[in-house]
Amino acid sequence: MKMHDVWKIYRMGEVEVPALRGVSVEIKKGDFVAIIGASGSGKSTMMNLIGCLDVPSRGSVYLKSQDISKLDESDLASLRGKTIGFIFQQYNLIPSMSAFENVVLPLEFLEYDDREAANRAREILISVGLGDKMHHRPAQLSGGQQQRVSIARSLAGDPEIILADEPTGALDSVAGIEVLNMLHRLWKEQGKTIIMVTHNLNLAKYAHTTIELKDGQITRISENDEVNKK
Amino acid sequence: MKLEKCFMHAFNMALHSKLRSWLTILGIVIGVAAVIAIISMGEGMQQSMTAQLSGLGGDIVTISPGFSRGTGMFVMRGGGGEGGFSGGAQATDKEIVLSRSDLQALKGIPDIALIDTNIRGSVEVSYRGKTGKVSLTGVDQRVWSQITTNKIKSGRMLDSADQNVVVIGGRLASSYFDQPIGINKMITIEGSAFRVVGIVDDQSTNIYMPIQMAYQVIEDKKNGIYDSFVVKIKNEDQLDEVIAKIESKLMVARHVTQKDRDFSVSSSRQFQQTRAEALSSLNAFLVAIAAVSLIVGAVGIANTMFTSVLEKTKEIGIMKAIGARNPDILLIFLFNAGFIGLVGGVIGIILGTILSGFMPALMGNLPLMRGTAIVSLNSIIMALSVSITVGVLAGIIPAYQASKLKPVDALRYE
Ligand SMILES: Nc1ncnc2c1ncn2[C@@H]1O[C@H](COP(=O)(O)OP(=O)(O)OP(=O)(O)O)[C@@H](O)[C@H]1O
Ligand SMILES: [Mg+2]
Repeated sequence: MKMHDVWKIYRMGEVEVPALRGVSVEIKKGDFVAIIGASGSGKSTMMNLIGCLDVPSRGSVYLKSQDISKLDESDLASLRGKTIGFIFQQYNLIPSMSAFENVVLPLEFLEYDDREAANRAREILISVGLGDKMHHRPAQLSGGQQQRVSIARSLAGDPEIILADEPTGALDSVAGIEVLNMLHRLWKEQGKTIIMVTHNLNLAKYAHTTIELKDGQITRISENDEVNKK
Repeated sequence: MKLEKCFMHAFNMALHSKLRSWLTILGIVIGVAAVIAIISMGEGMQQSMTAQLSGLGGDIVTISPGFSRGTGMFVMRGGGGEGGFSGGAQATDKEIVLSRSDLQALKGIPDIALIDTNIRGSVEVSYRGKTGKVSLTGVDQRVWSQITTNKIKSGRMLDSADQNVVVIGGRLASSYFDQPIGINKMITIEGSAFRVVGIVDDQSTNIYMPIQMAYQVIEDKKNGIYDSFVVKIKNEDQLDEVIAKIESKLMVARHVTQKDRDFSVSSSRQFQQTRAEALSSLNAFLVAIAAVSLIVGAVGIANTMFTSVLEKTKEIGIMKAIGARNPDILLIFLFNAGFIGLVGGVIGIILGTILSGFMPALMGNLPLMRGTAIVSLNSIIMALSVSITVGVLAGIIPAYQASKLKPVDALRYE
């Protein structure tokens, strides 16, 4: 994943709000990256660009060495489905569907065979410790459990990259650390690339690379080689 | 996403939708009910019309006293046989009748094969101590059986040699009196006894008897005076010319001109035309109702869909984030709209079927509209396709709008 001189300018009527101003960065496959910065510094904007949910106003974003601004909607959607798993602060599960159905959904978009999709969803839900809650609706689950469903959903399509925008933002510290440990394991054991936005500097310590944003610009990139040994 | 999955999600979405969104299908329901009513009535009428046409034939012409300069709306006499048409007779002091000289004039027309002479009246009839008043038609028993549209259910038609015998309507025989009247039973008409030789396959209480006897039974009808003539012409193709001939001959015989004409000549074909016209205006009315309702229904569904897209904006964003392509979203919403339409259609068909069951009863007093409604497989298929199509059409714009939502914007939506 590479960004080259990326600008993102939001237009609000007459006013132009530059959320990202000339961001260039390369995130290597298999890295665990934390993006930190004050509120409004452009962290979510950067995540959306990495996740192909949005396209830059200027500059280019390369995902698996493809320039995403050259891809059309359908290709972007397929790319998202196959290579990226999203974890959101507010879980963003579909309320009318059970945990199981929520996890199967991305596989349906990828046109998995029914049986394969079901097996896979079951396996993953069990691996995040929700084997007994598969047929609960999101409303019947705690915040931590919902976030685990959303982690399970992000893993369903076996993506290379997992994007988590403040995954612990709505959780208490115990549930938050549990989620972080899960992400950490995914990184270490399955070799996934993890990119996480967080406010909490303590949680940022789990990451190998830390990117600091301020007013839409990168002010510091630091690597912590200790983290591997944890 | 595979088609069947899109369909399943659309189905689930419909199942989980709020009651309020179901209310908007009312328009579709009414529209489809109207479509069903139109088609089934149309088919019912069609059947009864062809049945009557084949029975009546295009070669029967009826001459009756009185002439209407109005719209030419002919009304069949209740239950009367012979397709006796009477023009809405002009109000005159003197009663207008047909006479023996008119009959002579008709006999002088070579294109006419048979002439049946009719008189009508109301008579008192009694059977096994019970009495009632019914209408009686005197017919020329030598030709009646060859001209009448009546079918015999049991027994036989009147015959040349008949005198004190009658043929009676189906309802008079079966249920008018406490006990049913069978073949060869004697009934008393205005004090004289008559033997029943035939029962007509209809639901009337009419009595048919040889005209000479009818003159004796019906009080105020004098020999040589007729209420109508029913003639069968030799060549059906010359119907219009023969009618013209009859009219000119009768005008001479009755010493009248086109201006003060006092008789009507009508054919079954004309009657069918009038009836078809009345039917088509009724149909046009129903088509208008159907069209308006379906448009209202479409707007309703479109409205529901717009609301639903708005409510589901966040979900659409989520789906897009986890890999939904635009066509996936488009299809889910289109199927959803089609499904809502389908449900409206099914309810509409049920309602329409019930309604068209009532139609014959509603139309019962309008002899022109006789015929039962028939709800056929065709009309059901037609109604279902209409309702699904309307739903899908109404869903196109909202579904397209949903599919075009940008994932970031949709995800931010609360
Ligand atoms: N859709 C939008 N329209 C207009 N302005 C936007 C939009 N999204 C973000 N912005 C602006 O861009 C800037 C960066 O926003 P962004 O959401 O990336 O910040 P953030 O670092 O994620 O903040 P937070 O920690 O509060 O989530 C902010 O000034 C914000 O107001
Ligand atoms: Mg943010």
